[in-house]
Amino acid sequence: MEIAVLIKPVPEAETRLRARTDGTQLDAEGVKFVLAGYDESAIEQALLLREATPGSKVRALAFGPAPRTEEVLRAALALGVDEVTWVESPAEGADDPGVVARALAFALARVPHELLLGGKQAGDDEEGLVTAAIAESLGIADFGSVVNLRVDSASGSLTFQRATEEGVESWTAPLPCAIALQQAWNDPRTAKLPNILKSRKMPIAKIPWAEVSAALGEAARPRSVAERFELPPARTGAKMIEYKSPEEAAETIVRLLREEAKVFP
Amino acid sequence: MTPSILVVGERLSGHLTSATREAVGVALALAGPEGSVVGFLAGSSLDRSVTEFGELGVTRIRTREDPRLDAAGAGAIAVSVVASAEAVSASVIVTGGTEFGRDLTGRLAVRWSAAVANGVTEATWADAGGLRVLRPVYGGRATETRRLTGSRIAIAIRPHAFAEPTAGAAVAIAEPDAGPEIPDPLLAARRTEVAAAGVSAGPALSDASIVVSGGRGVRDANGFRLVEALADSLGAAVGASRAVTDAGWRPSSFQVGQTGKAVSPQLYIAVGISGAIQHIVGMVSSRVIVAVNNDSSAPIFRVADYGIVGDLFQIVPALTKEIRRVRGLPAG
Ligand SMILES: Cc1cc2nc3c(=O)[nH]c(=O)nc-3n(C[C@H](O)[C@H](O)[C@H](O)COP(=O)(O)OP(=O)(O)OC[C@H]3O[C@@H](n4cnc5c(N)ncnc54)[C@H](O)[C@@H]3O)c2cc1C
Ligand SMILES: Nc1ncnc2c1ncn2[C@@H]1O[C@H](COP(=O)(O)O)[C@@H](O)[C@H]1O
Repeated sequence: MEIAVLIKPVPEAETRLRARTDGTQLDAEGVKFVLAGYDESAIEQALLLREATPGSKVRALAFGPAPRTEEVLRAALALGVDEVTWVESPAEGADDPGVVARALAFALARVPHELLLGGKQAGDDEEGLVTAAIAESLGIADFGSVVNLRVDSASGSLTFQRATEEGVESWTAPLPCAIALQQAWNDPRTAKLPNILKSRKMPIAKIPWAEVSAALGEAARPRSVAERFELPPARTGAKMIEYKSPEEAAETIVRLLREEAKVFP
Repeated sequence: MTPSILVVGERLSGHLTSATREAVGVALALAGPEGSVVGFLAGSSLDRSVTEFGELGVTRIRTREDPRLDAAGAGAIAVSVVASAEAVSASVIVTGGTEFGRDLTGRLAVRWSAAVANGVTEATWADAGGLRVLRPVYGGRATETRRLTGSRIAIAIRPHAFAEPTAGAAVAIAEPDAGPEIPDPLLAARRTEVAAAGVSAGPALSDASIVVSGGRGVRDANGFRLVEALADSLGAAVGASRAVTDAGWRPSSFQVGQTGKAVSPQLYIAVGISGAIQHIVGMVSSRVIVAVNNDSSAPIFRVADYGIVGDLFQIVPALTKEIRRVRGLPAG
């Protein structure tokens, strides 16, 4: 099976967020970028499927600027991904999800993809729509919030579950299709040192932005503008409940929740 | 300007979902007195939901009767949504912030060439043109304001961020639309089963208005039952830290945080959870946070609104009992 995984470089969780001086977006100066959490799970899932289906290949694609994009692609190689493609982003407008999706869909013309795997949502913008938008460009079906993804080797189709508002749905879908994963692998593999060293010398196929934008024309134009990036006022610390007995603590907190915070009737 | 806005209806057990009702409220506010709001429904047996749209004040409903769409992916439904949007000259499509709604905006970004945003908590017309939206990002640790430009805009709103409109009494008229052919690849998948949400009978975690989560402090799988009993008293969904799912006390579908689910309920109660950053990013946008922990220096108290320092094995049963009392439920 030919598996393509979409991976996005995002600021690591511990990042102290701050706005650029013009206030429009995150100041990325000095921020360390890593693989988005769900995308790390998507790689793990792809590698597990490759192990289960001999002859499979796993290829990763990322859209973004240097050097962060190259770094996450090398991280993917170190984890065991076979080949990677870097789709270069423009300096501005690269955060418009429509542009991201079209650029990646363009690149996918060169990357075999019976199964396209993405994350449920990226930990930075949390749009949760890029995988679906790419699927629309490719004319294939997509499914979000997927867990327990398996390949039925007899029929070649996928089986999986989706956690939606309705409950847990079970699905069977033929290839090709796109899957946005919500699997939380709590123990994804980590890269071994020799593989990290090896990954530094492995080739990265690069598609320059000039090429992408020339091919897409009008479709590469961003349809949204970032205007403001703000941090909410810090929570001032908890109001601590004073009490002499557990019963008193319970009464006090329930009263505060009803009368002060007004959260339940 | 007289905007035309299309609201994509979603149904659960034959009724419009609360997410759709919230979307109707947003659409009505954007349309104002001059503009128009049109509903959209796809699937079979749509009549009852047409009526429900009317009760919310939406009187014109595009319907695509097609049983294949009762259990289809967003890709198949997007085909008809776009046809309807064109038929009513809509400039904005609004959906609820469900898994389906978020998926649909992705399809519309390409199929309708729309400017799109998910997880929207505020939406207003911008003087400069288009729609200005506010969205929490980075797990609620920041917000971003974006202006969606052009005459085709699709948004999915964030669950619980908007009130449902008060019921009106208008009569809605269905406008059946045979719609364009749906390409075969978009209908090839089959939904083989739907099981009620999760192991617990509570509401789905990502959509719940109250979430009670437990951490390593509950000590073992059995101790986690205290958390579930508290959730039950509140009609809340149950969540867990990764320490709990890693230990196998509960399945990974319960996990809240960076590699689990992001939740933004009205009330989040963290029981025996230390408050590691990877947990915090999944719940910090909750409106009110309560923490129970026996360590007064636990970082969870830095994001909580109310804190109780104490032994959860004493506090939580007392809390469950008190909540059942005030809510008039039989002692559990
Ligand atoms: C890449 C990565 C991704 C991660 N993703 C997630 C994620 O999505 N979600 C997540 O939750 N974690 C995640 N983690 C793990 C995270 O870093 C923490 O390890 C985890 O959240 C800790 O869980 P905990 O708070 O339940 O356990 P602990 O940190 O062990 O805290 C237990 C708490 O219980 C309290 N306690 C003990 N006994 C009692 C008692 N009797 N009464 C009251 N309080 C008591 C203790 O004081 C302590 O504060 C991730 C980590 C990494 C590296
Ligand atoms: N710049 C990008 N490069 C590669 N994949 C991406 C990019 N942006 C988003 N994706 C994929 O789409 C998923 C959802 O992202 P988002 O829609 O931004 O929340 C991510 O988990 C990735 O799998």
